[in-house]
Amino acid sequence: MDRPASRLDFAVIGHQDSWANIHTFVNRIRTPEQGTLSVEKVKAIFPFIPARDLFRVTVTSRTGDTIKGVYIDTFIEPDKLGVTNLRTNLRKVEDAIAFAKKLEAPIVALGGFTSIFLEGELSPYASSNTRFTTGNTLTSAFIVKGVEQAAVENQLDLRSASVLIIGATGDIGRACVGYFQSRVNNLLLCARNKRRLERLAGEVKAGGGRCTSAIELSTLLPRADVIICVASSSNLALAGVKPEAIICDAGYPKNLFRDAADRPGFLFHGGMGQVEGGYRFEPDYTDSFYQYPAPDIIHGCILEAMVLAFEKRFENYSSGRGNITVEKVEEIYRLSLKHGIALAPFFNDNGLCPTRPKVSSI
Amino acid sequence: MKTATPSLTTSETFSVVSDLFSQAITGELIGMSNFASLAETIDDYEEKMEAVEHADSERSHAEGFLHFAKEAGLQVNINLEGEYWRSVREQFLAYAGKRDFIACLFIQEVILESFAVSMYTDVGDALGGEAGKLFRSIAEEEKEHLDHSTEILREELRKDATAFVDKIEEVHFNCMTILAQFSATTDLRGHCGVCHGSCMKADLHHVGLDSATMRGNALALYARALDNIGIPGEKSMVWIAQLPA
Repeated sequence: MDRPASRLDFAVIGHQDSWANIHTFVNRIRTPEQGTLSVEKVKAIFPFIPARDLFRVTVTSRTGDTIKGVYIDTFIEPDKLGVTNLRTNLRKVEDAIAFAKKLEAPIVALGGFTSIFLEGELSPYASSNTRFTTGNTLTSAFIVKGVEQAAVENQLDLRSASVLIIGATGDIGRACVGYFQSRVNNLLLCARNKRRLERLAGEVKAGGGRCTSAIELSTLLPRADVIICVASSSNLALAGVKPEAIICDAGYPKNLFRDAADRPGFLFHGGMGQVEGGYRFEPDYTDSFYQYPAPDIIHGCILEAMVLAFEKRFENYSSGRGNITVEKVEEIYRLSLKHGIALAPFFNDNGLCPTRPKVSSI
Repeated sequence: MKTATPSLTTSETFSVVSDLFSQAITGELIGMSNFASLAETIDDYEEKMEAVEHADSERSHAEGFLHFAKEAGLQVNINLEGEYWRSVREQFLAYAGKRDFIACLFIQEVILESFAVSMYTDVGDALGGEAGKLFRSIAEEEKEHLDHSTEILREELRKDATAFVDKIEEVHFNCMTILAQFSATTDLRGHCGVCHGSCMKADLHHVGLDSATMRGNALALYARALDNIGIPGEKSMVWIAQLPA
């Protein structure tokens, strides 16, 4: 494909997490004369659209460098992320990967569900100079640093705390386990696959950590001082949770019920970063896609590709499952700070949380 | 009489299959007329002969569908003056009148062939048997037209990308708007003038089809055709989102 486009430094492959966002996006594009489309009509068109670039992204580093990227949507339906649609969705991710290769993006982040391609070792690398990353390492970094910051602000000593990780055997879940196993009193691990969960719990114990594991979430919730949600589930209920528990929902789509933010205690959407130098979309769809209560917030997985592009480190940085080490978490976090990409202020569905994290610097 | 299409056994399926053939034959005749008009816009004699050859190809497709329909005893209604087909033809002729070869090529070989290839494939898969085979084989031949235009249009884009994208955008809205109205779940501009009685879309389930999926697949193929030409995705997304639905 010959395109009238300038050179790209990175690309991001993703999908939307709600029909409400998609509905807003489509109708934002339409003129008053064309009229608005109902959600049903949008649903009848959107899933058929093949993967394509929706907008260009320009990002500025604290160093003054500027990079240009592109966002490619897979047009995966937000309510069809389960196993029954796996084949269709994988084909859509494949299409998006092929699209990114045609655009000759040197580094591509596979965000949200699409990371399954790299986590599952379904190699998209063949015959291409394009490199891919799930972005899970920087997402993990923002989650663990966010939890530490939230603990400080809520006067919780993590060394005496029980930290529950929902989705513990996933790539990000394992990274959180690895980070916190020597930093907290007790890990509570929850995942759907019993065999994988028991193996992970065994690894934690062999490493000198204390942990309890269960596939039933209800048995672990009442014991948790901190809850990290990184599962591929949605609408999880928080029955029996301590009122003062700190909760980090880093799922995409969100793991918890939408009204979870109304409960007492401290709940924030984790894994998010904020770009000090700002980012710009062209066309500007920020009112449809990236509506956050503070400017220049974006997902950690996307930011990882940007950081790697700033660093000109075109490599498969986050790939496979269970390969994220504490050293890599620290490395990518340090690099992100170098470029003015820091932990986002705490927020949830109700807006900004009353306090905000202290921005670290190197 | 042909009996290889099992879906002709009830009055509902007979009616739907008759309408499917009616639309296909009318569409092929529109294509034949368009290619004949396209020949008028071309100076290069080799390209002119090729356009006439394509017109003859569309004629043979129409003839193939017509022959099958007669053999099967279908009730065929051919109407080149029906609301949507006539409007598409008028758009084509407006550009042909200006000797705008690129616009004509885009209407006939990208817009109309995308819909033809996609919908014939869907119909062929659903009908099966001899009828299905006929639709699928003609879809394959139409695909060659689609591929043929891509190279020419890519070359045109290379010469002046901005002017080319602007022109294609204009043609898209002038012509795709009609097809979008035509293929919407309910005809947005009234009866097509080809189907017998009421619109066949509500009855497509009798032969294992549904209009939303057919329309979606056609738009998907059209979007891929735009990609292959080199239209930026951010443009084609907007073009598709702005169509009537």
